[in-house]
Amino acid sequence: MTRSHRKAMQLTVLLGLAIVLGLAAALYWRPGAAQEEIQGFLISGEVRDVQGQPVQGVQVAAWTTSGDEPLAEVESQEDGSWALILPGAPISQLRVEITRPHFSPYTVTLEQPELQQLISERIYRVGAVTLERQITPGFWVAALVFLGVLLLIAFEKLHSTTAALAGLSLIFVVSYVGGAFNPGWFIFTFERGLEYMDWEVIFLVMGMMIIVNVIEGTGIFQWMAFQAYRLSRGRSWLLALILMGVTAVASALLDNFTTMLLMTPISLQIAVALGINPLALIIPEVLASNVGGISTLVGTPTNILIGAYAGIGFNDFLINQTAGVLLALAAMGGYVLYHYRAEYRKQGGGISRKLYKKLEKNAGLENREALWKSGVVFLLVLAGFILGESVQMVPAVPALVGAAMLLIWLKPDVHQMIKAVDWTTLVFFMALFIVVGAIQEVGLISIIAGRVSTLIGDNLVLGVFVVVFGVGTISTAIANIPLAASMLPIVRFLSATIPGANSQVLYYALSMGAAMGGNGLLIGGEANLVTAGITQQTDSPISFGEFLKVGLPVTYITLTVGFLWLLIRF
Amino acid sequence: MTTERILCPTRGGRRSFPNQDRAIALAKERGAELVFLHISNVHFLDMTASPVLVDIEGELEEMGEFLLTIAQERAEKAGVEAEIVVRHGEFGKVLRQVIAEYAISLVVLGRSAGGAGVTTPAYIEALSEKLSKELGIDFVVVHEGEIQREYHGSQDDR
Repeated sequence: MTRSHRKAMQLTVLLGLAIVLGLAAALYWRPGAAQEEIQGFLISGEVRDVQGQPVQGVQVAAWTTSGDEPLAEVESQEDGSWALILPGAPISQLRVEITRPHFSPYTVTLEQPELQQLISERIYRVGAVTLERQITPGFWVAALVFLGVLLLIAFEKLHSTTAALAGLSLIFVVSYVGGAFNPGWFIFTFERGLEYMDWEVIFLVMGMMIIVNVIEGTGIFQWMAFQAYRLSRGRSWLLALILMGVTAVASALLDNFTTMLLMTPISLQIAVALGINPLALIIPEVLASNVGGISTLVGTPTNILIGAYAGIGFNDFLINQTAGVLLALAAMGGYVLYHYRAEYRKQGGGISRKLYKKLEKNAGLENREALWKSGVVFLLVLAGFILGESVQMVPAVPALVGAAMLLIWLKPDVHQMIKAVDWTTLVFFMALFIVVGAIQEVGLISIIAGRVSTLIGDNLVLGVFVVVFGVGTISTAIANIPLAASMLPIVRFLSATIPGANSQVLYYALSMGAAMGGNGLLIGGEANLVTAGITQQTDSPISFGEFLKVGLPVTYITLTVGFLWLLIRF
Repeated sequence: MTTERILCPTRGGRRSFPNQDRAIALAKERGAELVFLHISNVHFLDMTASPVLVDIEGELEEMGEFLLTIAQERAEKAGVEAEIVVRHGEFGKVLRQVIAEYAISLVVLGRSAGGAGVTTPAYIEALSEKLSKELGIDFVVVHEGEIQREYHGSQDDR
């Protein structure tokens, strides 16, 4: 064993120990509960909207009839609860004003009997108050901006990040400038907008970008594709199935966009070598990547969003979704074999030794040291995802630790690695969170959720059906990241109101619908578009119609399998 | 005396074979050397929100070389010496550069068979006419291996 190998081994052991110690420390550390004694007179209550959902951030203020300033003020919590503490005993009538932008104000008046109760017991419960929504000009601005952003992205009129940034800028300009002239135009403050930002998503995506960047540079996936070519010994149908499997696994561990960037060029060369239409290999791969990605938390950005929002962990996705995804992939494989049966029967004339060598070189492993090191780190990150849940460690932490480990261990050019973090994507997520936050703030999401809830009633099976097929159908044409981001509050509402939906089944339905629907049309997913872009560099470009012929049936086959799986699992 | 060089921009693959065959035939007829050119353009990544963590230009370069090696082998089988060139960028711009760099005297340009190309016949004709006048070299526009039109240097087309 050389000195450098020994050093590498020692470092691996140390890093492993650090992770284990970190987990153990987190497991046994318990913060002491703060004990607070309430001084004064307490008035408490809770605020709900017309759908019975708690309303956060409501201003509650207690006024006397003569006072110029409130006796006490407070904001409602996430569960809609609030508690006002009055420093002294009120002697005359007391008014509790409950206000929040985009809701009609509500006033509770405490007369003598209620005040007597408050003075004698030092506590008075107002109970639940229902606030009515107000449709303001700000409501329409937020709704139109959101729709505009979706359309700009769908029709590729602007880069997704530019569209989302333009949307959030407009929201803040209207909110501050319009709101100064007429309060009806107000949407939310900058600070309130930032509260909609999900930093867990941002850091998880950032950590994974660094890890993926190292792994992709090793050429492992191209090597696997070439091994599939060798193993299949000219049997195109077998090759297609193996490549679908490789793509699905790669998508589950990395992300489907990166997977298709890696797989398409080498698959195209293999298809040419076999003498078959490259699309008979590439289209099944992109379909498998869209579906395979949803089997894990980190496989698609939509799963990352769903996981962070609903607190669904890596293990939850493995337990509740992976088997369903495998069944969907099997059904997809069957359809693909049927659709391309004529193409797979073709026998090519083979390629020259020179071409074979070139193909082997193009699919070769590029950096064996980086491969085994990144493999070790990736396994540790996976272990962190799986074991971290027992200590409430969010997945962003193992991802960031893994990224840091790779930077320390591999010592790559840090500037280069930080450049590998695609800031346009992170800025897109940040801007999108605020734009979606705006439509939540003004009540659009609540109104849509109410309508969907009326349609579904108490029927959970119908709820799962509507989410899987409804989101799946919309997702054929609308980018699934903004779609999933805007659907999350609706799914939370439905999960809280439909009996039995607290199992989080509707979140899994959203994950399946958003990802599987992306297979319907060429414009349904970024992996589809980038694959089409690569094939345009050859004489076998994927056309809209060609993709539709395979993608649309596969979409509804996999949605059906996914729907049935969720019914069985939950 | 320097050997004449014919340039054949191609996307590679079976659908490009008829046009490649025409270029090979013209090279053989004139005793010219053939240069196969593959141009890729990653403009399709401009509108994506997903992170591009892959050296996609490198991957496309390898793919282009592989596809052009097939064309090169076919030319050599027909007794024509062929060189391969892989470039990235905007088609017209790269075409100009390669024509100048390799002292090209004739360009064989066409769409892939079966309407599979991403360029339109009108674009190919307009580009051929413009570049033939601008650079003073000949262009042959082909489709599915058949010559559609010829543009001769700064003179009018025949």
